[in-house]
Amino acid sequence: MATEMALVKPISKFGNVSPKFTIPRSFSRSKFTTVRMSATSSQAPSKPRKKASKTEIKESLLTPRFYTTDFDEMETLFNTEINKNLNQVEFEALLQEFKTDYNQTHFIRNKEFKEAADKLQGPLRQIFVEFLERSCTAEFSGFLLYKELGRRLKKTNPVVAEIFSLMSRDEARHAGFLNKGLSDFNLALDLGFLTKARKYTFFKPKFIFYATYLSEKIGYWRYITIYRHLKENPEYQCYPIFKYFENWCQDENRHGDFFSALMKAQPQFLNDWKAKLWARFFCLSVYVTMYLNDCQRTAFYEGIGLNTKEFDMHVIIETNRTTARIFPAVLDVENPEFKRKLDRMVEINEKLLAVGESNDIPLVKNLKRIPLVAALASEILAAYLMPPIESGSVDFAEFEPQLVY
Amino acid sequence: MATLGRGCWSSAAMAMANHHKLQTQTNKSISLPMSANYTHNSFFSFNSASLTPIAAKSSFKTAVAAVDSDGVTSSNAAENEQPKKYYFVVANAKFMLDEEEHFKELLSERLRLYGERNKEQDFWLVIEPKFLDKFPNITKRLKRPAVALVSTNGPWITFMKLRLDRVLSESYEAESLEKALSSNPTDLQFEKPEKWVAPYPKYEFGWWEPFLPPGSKEEAKV
Repeated sequence: MATEMALVKPISKFGNVSPKFTIPRSFSRSKFTTVRMSATSSQAPSKPRKKASKTEIKESLLTPRFYTTDFDEMETLFNTEINKNLNQVEFEALLQEFKTDYNQTHFIRNKEFKEAADKLQGPLRQIFVEFLERSCTAEFSGFLLYKELGRRLKKTNPVVAEIFSLMSRDEARHAGFLNKGLSDFNLALDLGFLTKARKYTFFKPKFIFYATYLSEKIGYWRYITIYRHLKENPEYQCYPIFKYFENWCQDENRHGDFFSALMKAQPQFLNDWKAKLWARFFCLSVYVTMYLNDCQRTAFYEGIGLNTKEFDMHVIIETNRTTARIFPAVLDVENPEFKRKLDRMVEINEKLLAVGESNDIPLVKNLKRIPLVAALASEILAAYLMPPIESGSVDFAEFEPQLVY
Repeated sequence: MATLGRGCWSSAAMAMANHHKLQTQTNKSISLPMSANYTHNSFFSFNSASLTPIAAKSSFKTAVAAVDSDGVTSSNAAENEQPKKYYFVVANAKFMLDEEEHFKELLSERLRLYGERNKEQDFWLVIEPKFLDKFPNITKRLKRPAVALVSTNGPWITFMKLRLDRVLSESYEAESLEKALSSNPTDLQFEKPEKWVAPYPKYEFGWWEPFLPPGSKEEAKV
């Protein structure tokens, strides 16, 4: 997974859903550099942060999440004995694609990395570290989830299980590559520690499908857009990791295809009015989260020569077009009103952040937050209620007989 | 949906699945390759053979001979007599070559891989293919000019159908590669998009030339 989705997660203060299992069974810590980062830090590993030994991780509404799901339900869903309609042909085709392993020899570093990192100084350096850290966390969270699914589905559906395992291979490579990038900045994420210390967000399988599908596809569009932009404007190519994005993001796109096939194998998740409402909800959550996140980090995107809002809108529109090939309904993101709403959410979010950073006592802060949270909620609701676009795979969609190819 | 030949593919895929079971996987512990130079993941071993479904392998030599671009072996009549199965997805040219830019990336990625692993190309783009005449159910729903992605690798075409979605899929048999991929000469023209908001330019017109059948490449350049 190359991006994060957070708004759908209940804020821990207001009643967190506790994960049904703990993942780090046999995670070998010894393999990892033991620098623990609770937030972005640019200090050398030789002098760990003062708070580094605490198991506290600064989590906000918009930080990348770790996911867990109901593995028993997953097993039932993909049990070929119970579910005889599973389109194994698509899964077998996907398995072939993943076994092909297009990027087997892609993630090889060179000395450009360290040199480029040394040249990055000042605020941009800090922001780069944060980018690497967040991306690494997001990829790693995909690794954990897919690895466990690969393990759990082995008996009931070996083909689907193997695809999950191969996807965890990709995510591990991506996370490892990003972590190597952090080493250029004399840092490393302690992934073993993260595995244990991070909160896991629980999603029912159906929601895992929507969320990870979107996460993979939006990840593809983000990476390819950055890659193609930098290819055109090499003067902003300040760190070589972006040169790897073209091949890299093909993995993300394929992962998305797999979730597409998983959903097609469970048409009950695609074909009723509830599915349409959920599809719109997940689209909105993912788009809003990204927009707010990126606008908070506009210096990063400007640092590589992008206009943050234009970049995000391009990514949202393309992801939405892609998603319309499988979700039964998507948002009308090309309606200018949608962007106006997003921009208003950014303004409100900035005010919310300002309240958090003010010197008021907690009670006053909370009182000041109330109208802002209400305003944000009403913008989000209004965006959700905008007339949607009916969509879906031509294998299911009602408009298929009229379609001209 | 028009997707024939599924039985055939699944048998190929089953053979593939069985083959894979032979590869031992003892991944009891979760470990992450920390070194990015780590090209062989500790718990997966891959070889280039996994590229081709095993069942398709017996007939693969024929394809190699037929595709041989130097023309020495392509006239080998004995090998051409064996009809081969070709799988395809098809849609209008604008969709395939102009709108779906990720499609270009997939094809380039695959061609790059085939180069790295010395594998003979087994997929082509055919502009206005002649074989469409055999499929009235497809042609009546198709905007023209049409472009087909053709391959001897059935499961891969299934994957491409999943990816592209808005395409029609079928299969046919042909005695030689030349016959399988013959096309009617067509001029392609795409109007520039009204508003192009991406922070990068479109892929260049003609990106598809490396994927055209061996004989038609010179034609396309004229």
